[in-house]
Amino acid sequence: MTALKENTAKLDSVTLALLNHRFEGVARKMANTLLRTGRSGVLNIARDFSCCIVTADCELLVANEGLPIHVLSGPDIMARIMKEVAPMLKRGDAFLNNSPYHGCSHAADHTILVPVIDDKGVHRFTVLAKAHQADVGNSIPTTYHGSARDVYEEGALIFPSTKVQENYETNQDIVRMCRMRIRVPDQWWGDFLAAIGSARIGEQEIMAMAAEVGWDLLTAFSREWLNYSERRMEDAIRRMPVGSAKRSSTHDPFPGTPAEGVTVNATVSIDPGEARIQVDLTDNIDCLPCGLNLSEACARTAAMVGIFNSIDHSVPKNAGAFRRIELSLRENCVVGIPRHPTSTSVATTNIADRVANVVQAAIADIADGYGLAECGAVIPPAAGVISGVKPTTGAHFVNQLCLGMTGGAAAPGADAWITICHVGNGGLCNVDSVELDELRQPIHVYSRELVPDTEGAGRYRGAPSVAVEFGPVGCCISVGYVSDGAINAARGVRGGGNGGNANQFRLTSEGRKAQLDSCAQVTLRDGERLLSISCGGGGYGFPEERDPDAVARDVAEGWITPERARNVYRVAVAGDRVDLEATVALRSDHHHN
Amino acid sequence: MRFAIDTGGTFTDLIVEDDEGECRMFKARTTPDDPITGLLNALTLAADAYGMTLGELLRRGEILVHGTTRAINAIITGRTARTALLVTRGHRDVLVLREGGRSDPFNFTDPYPQPYVPRSLTFEIPERVRADGSVMVPLDEAAVRAAAAELASRKIEAVAVCLLWSIINPAHEMRIGELLAECLPGVPFTLSHALNPTIREFRRASSAAVDASLKPTMGTYMRTLESRLHEAGFAGRTLVVTSGAGVIDARDAAEAPIHIVNSGPSMAPLAGRHYALMESGSHTAIVADTGGTTYDVSLVRKGHIPTSRETWIGEPYRGTMIGFPWVDVKSVGAGGGSIAWIDSGGLLRVGPKSAGAVPGPAAYGRGGVEPTVTDASIALGHLDPDYFLGGAIKLNRDLAVAAIRQIADPLKLGVAEAANAIISIATENMVQAIVDITVNQGVDPRQAVLVGGGGAAGLNSVRIASRLGCRTLIIPDTGAALSAAGAMMSSLKADFHAAFFVSTSSLDFDGVKRTLDRLSSRCRAFIDGPGAGAVETAITFKVDARYDTQVWEIEVLLRGKLASEAELASFVQDFHLTHENLFGFSDPISPIEIIAWTAEVNCRFREQSGLRLTSAATLAERPNRAAYFHSTDWVDVPVRQFNNLVIGEAVSGPAIVESSFTTIVVDPGAVATRQQSGSLLIEVEQSQ
Repeated sequence: MTALKENTAKLDSVTLALLNHRFEGVARKMANTLLRTGRSGVLNIARDFSCCIVTADCELLVANEGLPIHVLSGPDIMARIMKEVAPMLKRGDAFLNNSPYHGCSHAADHTILVPVIDDKGVHRFTVLAKAHQADVGNSIPTTYHGSARDVYEEGALIFPSTKVQENYETNQDIVRMCRMRIRVPDQWWGDFLAAIGSARIGEQEIMAMAAEVGWDLLTAFSREWLNYSERRMEDAIRRMPVGSAKRSSTHDPFPGTPAEGVTVNATVSIDPGEARIQVDLTDNIDCLPCGLNLSEACARTAAMVGIFNSIDHSVPKNAGAFRRIELSLRENCVVGIPRHPTSTSVATTNIADRVANVVQAAIADIADGYGLAECGAVIPPAAGVISGVKPTTGAHFVNQLCLGMTGGAAAPGADAWITICHVGNGGLCNVDSVELDELRQPIHVYSRELVPDTEGAGRYRGAPSVAVEFGPVGCCISVGYVSDGAINAARGVRGGGNGGNANQFRLTSEGRKAQLDSCAQVTLRDGERLLSISCGGGGYGFPEERDPDAVARDVAEGWITPERARNVYRVAVAGDRVDLEATVALRSDHHHN
Repeated sequence: MRFAIDTGGTFTDLIVEDDEGECRMFKARTTPDDPITGLLNALTLAADAYGMTLGELLRRGEILVHGTTRAINAIITGRTARTALLVTRGHRDVLVLREGGRSDPFNFTDPYPQPYVPRSLTFEIPERVRADGSVMVPLDEAAVRAAAAELASRKIEAVAVCLLWSIINPAHEMRIGELLAECLPGVPFTLSHALNPTIREFRRASSAAVDASLKPTMGTYMRTLESRLHEAGFAGRTLVVTSGAGVIDARDAAEAPIHIVNSGPSMAPLAGRHYALMESGSHTAIVADTGGTTYDVSLVRKGHIPTSRETWIGEPYRGTMIGFPWVDVKSVGAGGGSIAWIDSGGLLRVGPKSAGAVPGPAAYGRGGVEPTVTDASIALGHLDPDYFLGGAIKLNRDLAVAAIRQIADPLKLGVAEAANAIISIATENMVQAIVDITVNQGVDPRQAVLVGGGGAAGLNSVRIASRLGCRTLIIPDTGAALSAAGAMMSSLKADFHAAFFVSTSSLDFDGVKRTLDRLSSRCRAFIDGPGAGAVETAITFKVDARYDTQVWEIEVLLRGKLASEAELASFVQDFHLTHENLFGFSDPISPIEIIAWTAEVNCRFREQSGLRLTSAATLAERPNRAAYFHSTDWVDVPVRQFNNLVIGEAVSGPAIVESSFTTIVVDPGAVATRQQSGSLLIEVEQSQ
């Protein structure tokens, strides 16, 4: 108000800062509403949602602190599609988009778009609230259908920017369709209400701001904020080393993939002189007859996640900063732009993670002190979608668990953030409370423990794996999961070791342990247990360069065994102290080339 | 006589109320190494002012209420007891994995937080209770004894116990308690179900671990406090401020020190509630406490002080989760010491880096060269460098201006414009903190009054109120010691919690009755025990409830005891309404789940609810001075002494009101009026 009105004449640095605070506040308020009011665990526990504001020209302006894989690219495309399919946007409209062919990440992410319209009927901004649903009507009760040959086998209802509200009234025809197709429809309806509520709050807040300072100032702000963000990005890139690296990362073989799995190749070039980073993803195989293909939104976003994980984290992530990034994608490519009816059911995690990982690891290859090791892959059964019928009430349930994923990658100057979940998640996901899960579903969690010696060793170490044992109580449950990383672990960089591999077993009531497939829909009978092991994360730098005191602490805390300290880190530990003399001897014996 | 003493980071604030109900305010320097000395120094200052010896003053005291940052400082500095944690077998990593979550997802420079109790001191006990309370694996007592022996050999000073589902069936935790008492006599322990019977094992484990780790040190502190007060002549009752805006006996605080972890900021809303109601008849207030480095915001919503369960010491996800509800306070690193800087994109930023008390703002002349918010206020003429804290500290205007030039020159602004910009950004940082907490608690700032406390509140509170759309700003005469004022107004308070799951789709009326009856009888026992002799007592019931399959609960007050279909219907209506207020929608067809029950008991010992400061002597008025405001440029503004303003006298902005504790900037368009109570009420011009 006073402060802002004073500055309407010219958009100076102070107004810019003030309005940015306000816009960030809007995104936060939207996110808070969605988080606190959502019904399904994947939304309100796992925080698998995001909120953002894009300009009238469909450029990403401000996003909440949401899952990295959710927002960087996609909202821009969806806003553009909204304008194309509904050229006469009116106040009170809302659109639902979950179409991977129209800018959405994958079918499970229902996105509500609300155009913000001024009193003269001019479209000024678009607000988006995107939330992963517990169910979207797939042919099997999971939102990650890894083996689906195409979108038809996948089975989800697809909404390619469908108008769901007009004059703020919900079109009940669409609600009835969803209720007939989506499992546990009341839960979906609750999440739908939460997303609409969130987007409407964003709309109200922007209109209130405009009433205060005028639409023209908000438009000028958008332009200047994107320019400012571009300057920050330029500055960040200018401080990076020049270089180029080609690297690959392989996703394990799944149904529908080549026998050797899916190798993702990326060439990353940093040009500090021009303040530009290029990522070329065109040298990759065509789309596959399975659910692993990336949507365009996920291909773009994943590459950018790798970049933003490797640069000054305070650079605003919006269309301004993105101007300094050049991405090369190819149509009908597994990490490119899919054509209908290619399935992208699992687009936000598995292959997308390989893309982000390969980019950040390539940056580490360019110079020490930059980039990041690889994060562990997902989705292990302990983070799978479980479903069944509650023995107490006979009610159907379906929900994504998040009992245990670790996977954090080591950084150039810090040990891993253990619960990163996967690289596209950035650790935002909450880890389920055992008690809450046992209360919400008829399951029992027998144990949940980190596994020693599974960290990616290094100067800085990756996260260890977590092992979770769980099973049904008084009924059968179905568990759907798509666990990459049993064969291809998270790789370390600059001499760092690999993280532990993923795995999963059925433990029968007789005590037998049977290997399970990596991509499966498994039924567990009463008394059976599933042992889920998540991936560890890669290490950064040679382990024998790790501070010996840190190694001794790792031994004392049970992260690693004394044997691993000696053999891998070349540190001799006596009690909880470093045996200096022996360590010097061990380390001088050892040459890492 | 009654004493309320708040030991802060820099100052120890004291309010003394005599037997006629007249109050006086004192400030002494905090003595961090031995805070009880600072507390006694403040009391000595008061004794001098009353013309008595310390002994004479203390002998007249009936009640002493103490707010302390001792516990939170022990946690922040790691000076807590060597603590072990006993958990259900298979769940050793409860404190390592926490509940996941992270902020700043692209920031890989911060390491993962260490668990509050190291893994090496976490012991797994073979036992398991199921979700329905039945025992799946019986408690292995031999394993407990073996663990106890190990704890003894490793010189453990405190023990926390947190088993899965102990909230439904506490038998195993209770038996472990007996075994610990037997095997480790004298070693304090905390059982999670007894301390914090809440679902979500991480929060309960964290509560128990923090509580146990504080027992040895806080036990010593409370005993020392009581004995030193006793030696000095005090024979009254010593009470300690809790994180829940109540007070408890010092010896109870020693038994469960987690209750006093956030002792500091919890009292401000109590004082704020009083002033908002008295000065403007408002039941809804935003209470801001401005310190040198932090800005604490709390709320009063319809007469109640809302609590939060998302309670972290330090940064969310990176700090320590208390897992215990406390008064909802949003703290941001914004204060007089916050440093202004220009980022690589040319944007002006303020904070979070602070010049702190040392070296302090550039104007302190103690080596600080970076421009701070205080320097900006001096450069604008808002703050008189010769009259800071009544002239107790001399500031250097030239140094302040030189520092502001570091911002002004690159932005091609004049010094005053740059200083004004710094205040604008600092104001916006504070406004966003207020927006966050009001959104979370469903309060509309435009319907609230703003109460400004803390020494630096007056410098930009008018701007904050204007930006938020608050029409009324209150600066209480006790504002500079708002927490001590709140402590003086506080009641003896206890919360009792029970976990019991019901759904409104098939409400178990008998179970509800059993749960509430049990809570009631605990409240009555409290009233008969610590509450004996209260002039007024009250019990209120609250529930944590949510829509079917939601995860995050909201707090709803119970009007009755859910004893009939009619009471159930009115509760359901209240829930929908509360949800609507908080989030903008309700879902009338959805069943509602109640997962936790709270009974709050209040015992008031003081007759009067507010407090009245003895009118201080009039002071010489000071000359007008030049001050800069954006809308006026440099103008000559009147400077008035707070104490000299007569009741009902209005001061129109631009003007400055000063006292020896604070400076209040009345911006152009605002009108400040001295109230009957002594407070300054400022009507803020609305720019919307």
